[in-house]
Amino acid sequence: MAMEFNQSLKIAASGLKVQSGRMRVIAENIANADSTARTPDGDPYRRKVPTFVSKFDRELGAAKVELGKVERDKADFKLRYEPGHPAADGNGYVKYPNVETLVETVDMREAQRSYEANLNIVTATRRMISRTLEILKA
Amino acid sequence: MAIGDIGLMGALRTRMQWHQARQRVLAENVANADTPHYKAKDLAKPELPAAAAAAVSGAVGGSLGTVRAASVTLAATQAGHLSGNGGSAFKATGGQPFEVRPSGNAVDLEDQMAKSAENQLDYQTVASLYQQSLALLRTAVGRK
Repeated sequence: MAMEFNQSLKIAASGLKVQSGRMRVIAENIANADSTARTPDGDPYRRKVPTFVSKFDRELGAAKVELGKVERDKADFKLRYEPGHPAADGNGYVKYPNVETLVETVDMREAQRSYEANLNIVTATRRMISRTLEILKA
Repeated sequence: MAIGDIGLMGALRTRMQWHQARQRVLAENVANADTPHYKAKDLAKPELPAAAAAAVSGAVGGSLGTVRAASVTLAATQAGHLSGNGGSAFKATGGQPFEVRPSGNAVDLEDQMAKSAENQLDYQTVASLYQQSLALLRTAVGRK
């Protein structure tokens, strides 16, 4: 029973970890938004999608969250007419990554919001712990 | 006599444990705020056992009922069975989801934040009451 606050902190920590992992994937996507192939038959960068898995931690006795496999976005590549590009095909089109910077920005905001929510839980739990310790000081 | 045997103190202690357990459930909800098919959970309020409830509402001078939830443990039917670490004594409820996202996730962060703040405030109230009761006891034994 007394471990309950520790559990809360560990669960919130797992949430923080997952959200920062998600930020890493988003950063990768944005950084590679213009990474084309070098040859006409090569594929450009394919957008990565983080997945979340709720996993029951038997040691903790609660559902923590973990970053699942990072999947690839199956959407089509964008085609742009650039005949001089080394990766241009016979018709002069170049395949660009299927990354939408706007979508990534929105995802980033969401990750930020969830991160803050987890931090809030940590703060609230810490306040509760220090209030408990104050009982000693009566 | 342990301090928890005094009705009021026991009740306050159970209430504090309930808030601790609830904080854990809320942490779980927030951590899983982006997990597909995850539904937010909450804890049911601890209930007064029938006998204790009668004592509270009944005759003046009746002892205050201790809010005590029976702990759920694993049944050990073989010699080698482990008891596990008890599990929480409080019952989890599903609650009504405010909204379900296309991914099947039903955690509303704002709602969880509000609940967490409420839980923290209530915990502080109970902790203060507990502290006051301790001061009362201290007065009773004649110390300042």
